Amino acid sequence: MVSDRTKRNLKAELRESALAKLGVALVALVLVAAAFAPLLAPHDPTATDPGNASLPPLGFSTTENQTTSEMVDGEIQVVEQEVQVNATASHPLGTDSVGRDVLSRVLFGARTSLLVGIFGTALAVALGVVVGLTAGYYGGRVDDGLMRVADVMLAFPSLVLAIALIGLWGRQSIAIPDPFVRLGLAPGMPESAVIPGTVVVVVALVNWVWFARVARGEALSIRSAEYVTAARAIGASDRTIIREHVLPNSITPILVLATIQIAAIILLESALSFLGFSGANLSWGLDIAQGRDYLASSWWIATMPGIAIVISVVGINLIGDWLRDALDPGVDQGEGGV
Amino acid sequence: MSLGRFLLRRGVHGVFVVWGVVTVVFLLRFISPGDPVNFIAPLDASPELRRRIAEELGLNRPMYVQYAEYLAGLVRGDMGFSYLRGQEASAIVFARLPATIELAVAASVVAVVIAIPLGVISATRRHQPADYGATLFSLVGISTPNFWLGIMLILVAAVQLNLFPTSQRPVGFLEIFGHLVAVELAGPSVAVPLDVRAFAGTLGTWLWHITLPALTLGTYFTALITRLTRSGMLDELGKPYVDAARAKGLPETLVRYRHALRNTLIPVITVLGLQLGTLIGGAVITEAVFAWPGLGTLLIGSINVRDWPLIQASLIVIGVSFVLLNIAVDALYASLDPRVDYE
Amino acid sequence: MADLLRVRDLQTRFFTQEGQVNAVDGVSFEVREGEVFGVVGESGSGKRLRDADLAADVRADRPDAVDGSFVDLLGLPDRVRRGLRGPTFGTVFQDPASSLNPSLTVGEQIAEAVEVQRRADANPRSVDSRTQGYGLAKFLVGGTVPGSGYLDEASEARAVELLEQVGIPDPAERAEEYPHEYSGGMLQRALIAQVLAGEPDLLVADEPTTALDVTVQAQILDLLADLQAERGMTILLITHNLGVIARMCDRIAVMYAGEIVERGTLSDVFERPVHPYTQGLLGSVPDLDSVGGRLTPIAGNVPSLLDSEMGERCYFADRCPKAMEACLDDPDERSAAGSADHTARCVLTGMDYGDSPPLAEDHFGDGPSRDGHDGGDP
Repeated sequence: MVSDRTKRNLKAELRESALAKLGVALVALVLVAAAFAPLLAPHDPTATDPGNASLPPLGFSTTENQTTSEMVDGEIQVVEQEVQVNATASHPLGTDSVGRDVLSRVLFGARTSLLVGIFGTALAVALGVVVGLTAGYYGGRVDDGLMRVADVMLAFPSLVLAIALIGLWGRQSIAIPDPFVRLGLAPGMPESAVIPGTVVVVVALVNWVWFARVARGEALSIRSAEYVTAARAIGASDRTIIREHVLPNSITPILVLATIQIAAIILLESALSFLGFSGANLSWGLDIAQGRDYLASSWWIATMPGIAIVISVVGINLIGDWLRDALDPGVDQGEGGV
Repeated sequence: MSLGRFLLRRGVHGVFVVWGVVTVVFLLRFISPGDPVNFIAPLDASPELRRRIAEELGLNRPMYVQYAEYLAGLVRGDMGFSYLRGQEASAIVFARLPATIELAVAASVVAVVIAIPLGVISATRRHQPADYGATLFSLVGISTPNFWLGIMLILVAAVQLNLFPTSQRPVGFLEIFGHLVAVELAGPSVAVPLDVRAFAGTLGTWLWHITLPALTLGTYFTALITRLTRSGMLDELGKPYVDAARAKGLPETLVRYRHALRNTLIPVITVLGLQLGTLIGGAVITEAVFAWPGLGTLLIGSINVRDWPLIQASLIVIGVSFVLLNIAVDALYASLDPRVDYE
Repeated sequence: MADLLRVRDLQTRFFTQEGQVNAVDGVSFEVREGEVFGVVGESGSGKRLRDADLAADVRADRPDAVDGSFVDLLGLPDRVRRGLRGPTFGTVFQDPASSLNPSLTVGEQIAEAVEVQRRADANPRSVDSRTQGYGLAKFLVGGTVPGSGYLDEASEARAVELLEQVGIPDPAERAEEYPHEYSGGMLQRALIAQVLAGEPDLLVADEPTTALDVTVQAQILDLLADLQAERGMTILLITHNLGVIARMCDRIAVMYAGEIVERGTLSDVFERPVHPYTQGLLGSVPDLDSVGGRLTPIAGNVPSLLDSEMGERCYFADRCPKAMEACLDDPDERSAAGSADHTARCVLTGMDYGDSPPLAEDHFGDGPSRDGHDGGDP
């Protein structure tokens, strides 16, 4: 599937490009955080602790007004005083307004983002490749019809379509059991990862078009290639030709596009969570939405998950650049940001 | 084929896309669970009342009849009545449209004005500090979710520094022109402010409120255009016609702008055309962050209360704007690249 | 006749993963006013002379001229050198299709060449002469705001005249067309018109006919010859095509492996070639007069130009049928008998064959210099 030449190109580009190395490092960081969140997180990300609410991250302190009642000369007086709140090592990135640990939530949030990004992209690739190859390979009316559908899909900005679909279909979620908790390695952590199922389906539905366009383009150019005519002449079936010739040639551009689309879908998921259109209980976008109400007093609640998004997306985009420079498939990028 | 005929063809194609959009929007209601009557009728409504509501809204008729009436209404410009507000959906949507257009245009202007010079500087000073700075900015810019960027801008520029307001749109762009009158001054008429202070005040208020939302929405595009301009300029500057232009004695400024940049903008515009959806989607979420009273906040609000006519009207207006913008981009593209044969 | 251009010790080097490549190594020549000077080499050796303008001294009426009235181009700031390019020398490139900007009309591009001179002449000492009043802002509003463009109407009219002079029919209409609407020969004519716009003293033609059809090649050569005759223009012609050289040139220089190996008047070099490479080159051209003979190719390939593998010797020795021990030293340029202007870089020049023992057959046999590199364009 991947030729030696391709591997050589990838290695050479990685050796030469500091940015590609940075991308690999950032993505590795996020992957580790997502995979080992229950082992790395200092606290249960869903456990509230009102006594330790709104603690600042290490290196910062805040002041907060505290009212106490005191008995002075036989009378009860309400005393208001400014109290300095210091960071504690137990909550390195601080806590949110109900005392949940921000670091733990950021680590678990990586799971939601990556799982939605990967599943959503996989579903979009499957859908897009089937439609694109069919349209490009058979051409004619099949092609016209499918491409008109694609045009209509493209007439809706992906975020708008996603909002509309989720808003109307509701927010179904899927619970995936956590292997570490099952094996008893991470006591006290949530027993399953809650993945917003509707979001996965919807991001695939709004993003398949880009893959369909690439797959169609490849199929169109390969369909008329001489070796395919030759294959047909010796009696190869359409299915064989698509599997043996068209699909392998489409892999490089689809791989590059898929990488960029994972980043786009992570951004889309965070936006949907931010707007409240997601079923996840642990998501960077969700935490940003919650932190937004406490900007004046607790800036870190909204800031930290945002930094996590930027790190992941920068990393994936750098890997996308690396693949594109090394493989040079010449694809358009599709919708990128949110 | 002339540009006019090309645009006509694109227009016809656009009409078909709009028809598809309208149909999808119509079908959305039928594939979503829940009877719209549930969202309108009181919880303890009698079956009789529910039946009357359904009849009143035409919801009890066969789907194809509803579809035909819906299309007929659209042709007349009638998008139905909002269930909850008792106003024409089209009136509500068009009242919100200027806010979204202002935001999108302001963001695009910010993006183009910053990004093109930045991309050119980055390409012509390759591997110098300015280039590294621009590359870093564009990398982070295309990777930052704009709702978070908006919140960070609010945190720093509004909450901490108190430079800008956190939300709202007290005046519209068009209101600024309410302070202008046409004056005949020796020949051509000139628009002058009637009341300079009120004019400046309105303009200032408008700018003051749109700055953070425009930066929020514009950053991604600034980063993207910078990146595209840089790589495009590097490509073009390596081509033989650039050597030839230098060989005829043209100053470097002309070689860069009149020759290389013009050809760079052709692929930049292609990608921007593909990114229009991101602009509109980004506007929706930016509006949510800044409580900007545009189509985005209207759409989100209407979905939450299942106000079908409003949902449909906002989706249709968004889809149609998108189709129109795409035709505009195609026309711009065709006017820049003489090799397009409009086929 | 006086010299118009003196190229002194031109070096073109570039660096690859394998090391330094000496594409052009210490080439010097003079081009005299009014002549057509040809540089011949196998494919790949001549076009590297494109950098000639960097090493050249050009006669120009400037106060800071060195060496009498010559200007050392390398010593000039880029801006000033650029200013000399239009009026002092213009270049016609090899591939006309890629030498014109695809998104400007042909007329506009020729008018630019006129305009840049007009603006420079009108305001020779202006601070603004670097940008000539045109920048990013003008580009962005160009076309929408009247008068914000670069071109003047007179320049556009002059462009049409120039197109007519190079033999383009319907010049006024063709000026409005874009390069992709032109044929290859038409494009080369347009490029020549663009060069003429600067009214240069020297025209550098870099493989001007290589990319063209054979029939069109002849037309372009006729055009160049006519222009040269009409205007007394000096032409530096770089080509690998001996037919072109024979048809156009007064004096020629033959290049091999980055060096000039033989030079002289056309008749000296073509009729009495001294250097075995030149002899081989002439022997490999089909001759219409002698029917039935076989062409004699030169054995082997152009040697590696890697600095590390070149050493000090005659670079042709490993392909030379007459190679001797003496060829392992770097030969000087020597005058051939009969003409003071006719020189060659070969020990045989003015020497009897046999003074030095012949080189063993396998002297270069296993060395990397023979097979390791095909000498193609790095």
